[in-house]
Amino acid sequence: MKTTLQKNSKAILVLIVIAAFLVIAARGMSGRDVVITVLRGFSVGSVTFLVAAGFSLIFGLLDVLNLAQGALYMIGAYVGWTVYVRPDTFVDVLTPVLLILTAFALNILWKHLAGAIKMQAKLRKLISWVLMAGGFVLLWIFLTKYPISLWDLNNYSQSPITYSYMADQGLRIVPAEATFEVISPIIAILGIFVSSSLSAFGLALRNREETQLRKMNWRQLIAPALLFLVAIFAAIFNAPITAWMYALSTNWLFVIAVGVTILTGVGLGALIETTLIRPLYNRPIYQLMLTLGLGTIGVQIVQAVWGRPEFVWPKPELFRGTGGACPATNLADLIENQCSTIMILGGRVRVYDEIFIPVVGIIVLVVVWILLKRSRIGMIIRAGVQDRQMVEALGINVRRVFTLVFALGVGLAAFGGALAAPSSGLTPTMGDRLLLSALIALAVGGLTSFPGAALGSLLVGLIQQFMIKYGQIGIPLPFTDVVFKPSPALVPASTVLLMVVVLLILPNGLLGKKE
Amino acid sequence: MTTNSNFLTRNRGILIFFVVMLLAPFLIGLLEGSSPAVVLANEGGLSKFLEGLGIEIFILAIFALSFDLLFGITGLLSFGHAMFFAVAAYLTGIALKTLQLPFWQVTLLVLLAAIVQALLFSIVLPRVKGITFTLVSLGLASVFHIIVMSSDMINLTGADVGLQGVPTPAFINPASERFRFYVIALIFLVATYIFYRRFVASPTGRVCVAIRENEDRAKMLGYSTTTFKVVAMIISSITASIAGMLHALYQPIISPTVADLGFTVTALLIVLIGGVGTLSGAIVGAFGFRLLDFTLRRFLGESASFVTGSVYVIFVLFVPYGIIGTLRLEKLSTRAGWKELFSRIRGNA
Repeated sequence: MKTTLQKNSKAILVLIVIAAFLVIAARGMSGRDVVITVLRGFSVGSVTFLVAAGFSLIFGLLDVLNLAQGALYMIGAYVGWTVYVRPDTFVDVLTPVLLILTAFALNILWKHLAGAIKMQAKLRKLISWVLMAGGFVLLWIFLTKYPISLWDLNNYSQSPITYSYMADQGLRIVPAEATFEVISPIIAILGIFVSSSLSAFGLALRNREETQLRKMNWRQLIAPALLFLVAIFAAIFNAPITAWMYALSTNWLFVIAVGVTILTGVGLGALIETTLIRPLYNRPIYQLMLTLGLGTIGVQIVQAVWGRPEFVWPKPELFRGTGGACPATNLADLIENQCSTIMILGGRVRVYDEIFIPVVGIIVLVVVWILLKRSRIGMIIRAGVQDRQMVEALGINVRRVFTLVFALGVGLAAFGGALAAPSSGLTPTMGDRLLLSALIALAVGGLTSFPGAALGSLLVGLIQQFMIKYGQIGIPLPFTDVVFKPSPALVPASTVLLMVVVLLILPNGLLGKKE
Repeated sequence: MTTNSNFLTRNRGILIFFVVMLLAPFLIGLLEGSSPAVVLANEGGLSKFLEGLGIEIFILAIFALSFDLLFGITGLLSFGHAMFFAVAAYLTGIALKTLQLPFWQVTLLVLLAAIVQALLFSIVLPRVKGITFTLVSLGLASVFHIIVMSSDMINLTGADVGLQGVPTPAFINPASERFRFYVIALIFLVATYIFYRRFVASPTGRVCVAIRENEDRAKMLGYSTTTFKVVAMIISSITASIAGMLHALYQPIISPTVADLGFTVTALLIVLIGGVGTLSGAIVGAFGFRLLDFTLRRFLGESASFVTGSVYVIFVLFVPYGIIGTLRLEKLSTRAGWKELFSRIRGNA
């Protein structure tokens, strides 16, 4: 006990000083303001944590500073919004995406076939490039012909803003269903499947060395077959599923939206790791630059598909009640009336923003913590953070764990986006702002430390919210009558200052391991 | 490098570049059908327009050179590099517009600010290394970006609209004296490049390269690595500040995007296109980047940055040494190929 105290004396001292600052800051406010500010700090901290946790896991194990994390957070929010506000678009997109996935999931079959074909290396390379390029061109042609009901960015009455607004008012517009006009459904579905299979086969043809080792196993084809069946199912029952989703209670729709978002994040993470990050493992600085470029591309894609203007994600019914007993004064009232606000110590607190988000943040913290501490995979991850080569030497396939951790980290970020969007709204810049907060939280808490990410996020959230509150009521400067009111734009500066000060005293952050 | 090589032969490439760029406006003027006198008198036309594009490229190239000295030569990845540029640009603008100082005082002020900033970054240098330094520099630069963007200083910086109406001294007014400005920017670029070449070849520069390759080993050899890093930082900061000052004088609006992380990424992209740590790559990269950006914006409009981002990713994945770096590698292997051929012929004979 005594040695731990001595070892971490600096970190403890810094924490005490920060805590003292926060207490002094809280003394200048009324009790009502303190409750709201602290809860908002927890809320911002939770969202930051979801992004920072993925960051710290990825950086700890893979040594990759994933600067695309902010963009992926944003993409999570936009994907979730699409499922929630425009289920018809989601169901339309589902079929082609699943078909492409099936084609690439059949990788094992393609490799087997490619191994059976014998030809010259040069010819092989040429054919593989031709197949890949041809497959992509064909895929592009079929995708443009495939009917997807979309919003129209140039027409205000059909823009995302209008759909959000109408859904917020409880008047969901059900847009006209897109129908097969140019080509018949069977040709479209087969076309997408065959053309993506062509490019997948071309890809498999490229690397010859592995082909001999592969043995076919029928069990490995079950997953692609399931994907294919779901895709066909979604295509056939497109209209009934859409109608069912529109009729669904918004609570369940929200759950579905969050689930789809997490799956998208996990899928994107696995895709990025296997295709883009993996070739660069011996050039760490290039990985950083690559993720930076991916972040820019992500923002551009979001701007092109969903447009630049800000719009809202209407909250689910559970957090919208404004009946007679609202704002609720006790828990029973809250649950019975599904109030949007609750009174705590005289302060009116929004249930979704300031209670639901922190609760989810804590649940995720606990779940990931248990996963890391108790499961086999968590053990491998923790060992890998400490010494990657040793784990590899023990005969564990670290590469697969890398993919898993990257997918998990991106999934967490996407989840954070979907969770934060109903309270913060959606803009193409939301990722950049959060990226900075998450980076600061990580640097403060210690780059590779998972509890450090949680602590840093909490500190960043609290300090931001206290600064915003003081921006409203003003800080009386000592010995003068001047009241300094920091404008909201200056708030992020305060957290950067926190980071610089902490790093000057503790270069490895509060909970980072010493070297 | 042979001992009897003099200044001219050593810097042959950049001097040819200088002469070509100096003559280019006249040649374009001739193609257009206007005599050299018209070009000298700055009477508009394609030549004047291309001079403007050239000035932008030169400014970008100076900025990218300063970034290459830090990242490519010394091995410090700073995400706050745009701050050097932006501080100089804003300081020039504010000093000329609000304070109305004479030009030489403004120059002095900018140089002073550059050194102060470099020292500010140097406070954290000995404490934090690698990725953490990147984060700290990003943090410091974003504080500056936030302050520039905030409404508290709108009278000085113009917040998100940008700083407008900076009175440029008459003798380098980019509208009426475009050719003179063009030549000055070109001279600055060439001088910076020659100085940087000299610096990298000097004992101090050699130690900087050693720090990039293996900092612990450089320390073991008895070099105070922090001092060398600070020297590189100060040189880089002053160069970036010169670029920022030229930018403030040339552009009608100083937009806050120059203080953004995106602007540092632009420098990174330029250096990457040209070749990290090659110096001449920064100039090639600046040409490549600006011309690509210009063409794309013309034909694609807003979605141009999507293509730029993709180019960036493609370069990271497939051309990691950049244009100049790859050429140099190829040169070695072609030479080795010739040598092997000769030795085989001799062996057979």
